[in-house]
Amino acid sequence: MIAFHRSSVSPLQLAALASATLVLLPLGYVTVLALSADASVWHRLWTTRVPELLLNTVSLAGAVALLALVLGVSTAWMVTRFEFPGRRLWEIGLVLPLAMPTYVLAYVYNYLLGFGGPMEQVWQMIAGPQARIISPQSFWGVTVVMALDTFPFVYLLTRSALLSFNVSFEEVARTCGASPLRRMLFVTLPLLRPSIVAGVALVVLYVVSDFGAVSLLRYQTLTYAVFQQMTGRSDNQAASILSILLVILALLFLLTERWFRRKSRFYQTTGRFRAPQRIRCGWLHTAALTACLAAVIGSAFGIPAYLLVTWSLSSKAQTILDAHFLDFAWNSALLSTLAATAGVFVGLPLAYLASRKPTWLNTGCLQAAYAGYVLPGPVAALAVLVLFLNVLPFLYGTVIVLIVAYVLHFLPAGLQSLEPSIQQITPNLEEVARTLGLTGRDTWRRVTLPLIRNGVIVGWVLIFLQTMKELPATLLLRPVGFDTLAIRVWLEASEEYYQLAAPSALLIVLVGLPALALLLSRDWRAA
Amino acid sequence: MYISPRHSPRALGIGSRFKLLVISAGCFLTCLGPVTPTSASAADKLTVYSGRAERLIKPVLDVFTAKTGIQIELLSSGTTELVNRMKAEGGRSPADVFITNDAGSLEMARTAGLLRPLNMREVERSIPPQFRAADNSWIGLSGRFWIVVYNTTMVKPGQIKSLLDLADPIWKDKIAIPNSGSEYLQAGVSVIRASIGDDQTRKFLEGLRNNAGTQVYQKSSQIVEAVAKGQVAMGIVNHYYVYRHLATQPTAPLAVVMPDQQEGGMGAIMNVAGIGVLKHTPRVENAKLLVEFLVAQAGQKMFADLDKEYPLHPEVKADPALTERKSFRAALVPLAKLAELREPTLLLIEQVGMR
Repeated sequence: MIAFHRSSVSPLQLAALASATLVLLPLGYVTVLALSADASVWHRLWTTRVPELLLNTVSLAGAVALLALVLGVSTAWMVTRFEFPGRRLWEIGLVLPLAMPTYVLAYVYNYLLGFGGPMEQVWQMIAGPQARIISPQSFWGVTVVMALDTFPFVYLLTRSALLSFNVSFEEVARTCGASPLRRMLFVTLPLLRPSIVAGVALVVLYVVSDFGAVSLLRYQTLTYAVFQQMTGRSDNQAASILSILLVILALLFLLTERWFRRKSRFYQTTGRFRAPQRIRCGWLHTAALTACLAAVIGSAFGIPAYLLVTWSLSSKAQTILDAHFLDFAWNSALLSTLAATAGVFVGLPLAYLASRKPTWLNTGCLQAAYAGYVLPGPVAALAVLVLFLNVLPFLYGTVIVLIVAYVLHFLPAGLQSLEPSIQQITPNLEEVARTLGLTGRDTWRRVTLPLIRNGVIVGWVLIFLQTMKELPATLLLRPVGFDTLAIRVWLEASEEYYQLAAPSALLIVLVGLPALALLLSRDWRAA
Repeated sequence: MYISPRHSPRALGIGSRFKLLVISAGCFLTCLGPVTPTSASAADKLTVYSGRAERLIKPVLDVFTAKTGIQIELLSSGTTELVNRMKAEGGRSPADVFITNDAGSLEMARTAGLLRPLNMREVERSIPPQFRAADNSWIGLSGRFWIVVYNTTMVKPGQIKSLLDLADPIWKDKIAIPNSGSEYLQAGVSVIRASIGDDQTRKFLEGLRNNAGTQVYQKSSQIVEAVAKGQVAMGIVNHYYVYRHLATQPTAPLAVVMPDQQEGGMGAIMNVAGIGVLKHTPRVENAKLLVEFLVAQAGQKMFADLDKEYPLHPEVKADPALTERKSFRAALVPLAKLAELREPTLLLIEQVGMR
């Protein structure tokens, strides 16, 4: 008990508490605002908009999660379990969609599949002039676009779990006479479950908080409605009520996810680790795998990237390429780097404490940190703005306000990879290091950090990429004259000047690529 | 059991390491503060918050800068969003001037005490009084009208005379409308309420909602696009979106109805883009120079033509592509009333369940 009290006031603990408070403040602000609303406002929303919005949001999140799960796990399986020409390239290609903002993908598909668009023209040549294809501005359209953009979350986490997967488990199952299907269903997949669930959680949180794609595809979700309420009327109470619903929805989901994950914790305890052997493929297999992977990457990245390049090269787009353009790129890169670094520093103590000392306080802090992701970007931004103006007015109008909003919003993205990476190391390793005489600091430096390094890098890159693409909070909080590439895309694209939006969109993708390269330059084997 | 006495020094070790890193990161961030462009105190500067799209305002501001040497920092964003932001920022707002496309929002900024009354002879002389606030704390710069745009292959001329015709069930799934957050929709419905009363307006909105179905758009340009392609037969937009579309695609099958011109009809619904100077700004003189520039004949022509709107200065001619201003009449609801009408309008829009 004494130890508990001493550790509960350690600086690490304080850092975790401070971070949790930071995240909870905006949530508290929104809650107070929502609760102070007149009952009639609640009633009005409840009888008019809420049922439709809840249904839309939940069904979209479910459908996207399912599709992303299928895409992510199957592609991860293909590139980790089979050996075929070009495998390494596909392995890289599958993370490229992370660099493509969802709103850009949404726009491209609006053009490709839209009314009278190229795909429809092709289809009408085959099926007659009255034939219609499925509209991108529909439930399934939004689902496909968002799944194509988010499946790499599932892919990345599943792939790294598959690579660090100890084949001994499967071999034991095989010696016990289990069929391949049985082995996959009852041995492999359950062992992968923590990673898969973490990936799906990222997808779901991304979907419910997305604003850009749903607004371009005109699909009404809670977040879109919140943005409409906030930008369309002068009191934010209705927006805060809808936000609270969103937060409750997401918290319910996160608690379920946590419950799933609590029941499965696996440690590599013995030294007998064997990495899986890849199955060599014949040409038929190779062709099938290549076709599958090419279709996925082509529609999620290849075709959109091709269109962006074509549009950027148009003479119309050339007119806006001037010195300002470099400023926008620099601003984006600077903000993303700072936000990712700050996010990792805030996230590490939270994840570490919750994993090593799972007291109610520590787990509570960690759970609190997830709140930021579900608070819609515009509402988080408003809360941050009010807090800064009241508490730290001299910082208002600087990029720090933006960084705080980003960290609030994207911390969970980092935590989803920091947390499993810490959980995967058995505490025994640290304890052994301590009994062998290493100090706490040395243990951290020589044992813990090297083991979680990959998780830290993945977390950093995920925050970096998401900040690069972030829209609503940047719109609301940017200092005057401090535009980012995402803002440029939005300003041009929302006025339908899509060729003018293309260079900025393309640059977002290009700046994101080095971050992705970093992500891939590591060997993800944890042991 | 991970909690044991020998672990706490480790926690401390990591903790202090963190503290150092956090502090150094903090210092780094703080150093960045001054680097970012904020409201500089230089005298020859002006910060403009604009709810008008950047490309429709920046060229005019660039001419102003070239003429006066006053540098302009521009923040383009949504109109109501900017009003909310200025309200939150209060006296700390870096904004000196607010330009927007909706008189209701300007009036809201005025009633929130954000704007400063201007006493300028140039304004009185150039802009007729019905286009300004009573105390000149905002000044209209250009006029815009709500019109019906239709696809000429799907609708015959004369089939539509009034906005209210759009609620007729024969147009089911054939009409595109802006979403309920749009300031244009809010202003338009406000004028309709003031003209025909709440009950009639509610019936109209219910019909419109049913006819629009899922064809509810964030941007008017998307509506024009949908009408041009024949995805819907017609839509409600501000007039210039049509002319902007026709300027790039002259063969598009688009035509315009200036609605409610019939005998006893309420007249076309008008709104203005306008400008206001913030109350707390230390750069009043610069701001006044900008206002003066924009209400003068040359500025009026430039400002209105960029967006194919109607100049408010009586002696400045509109772009010849537009319908002659004298050939139609506008609804008689005073612009300054749009703000006070807005809340009940929003309530009605929400009750009807428009998106």
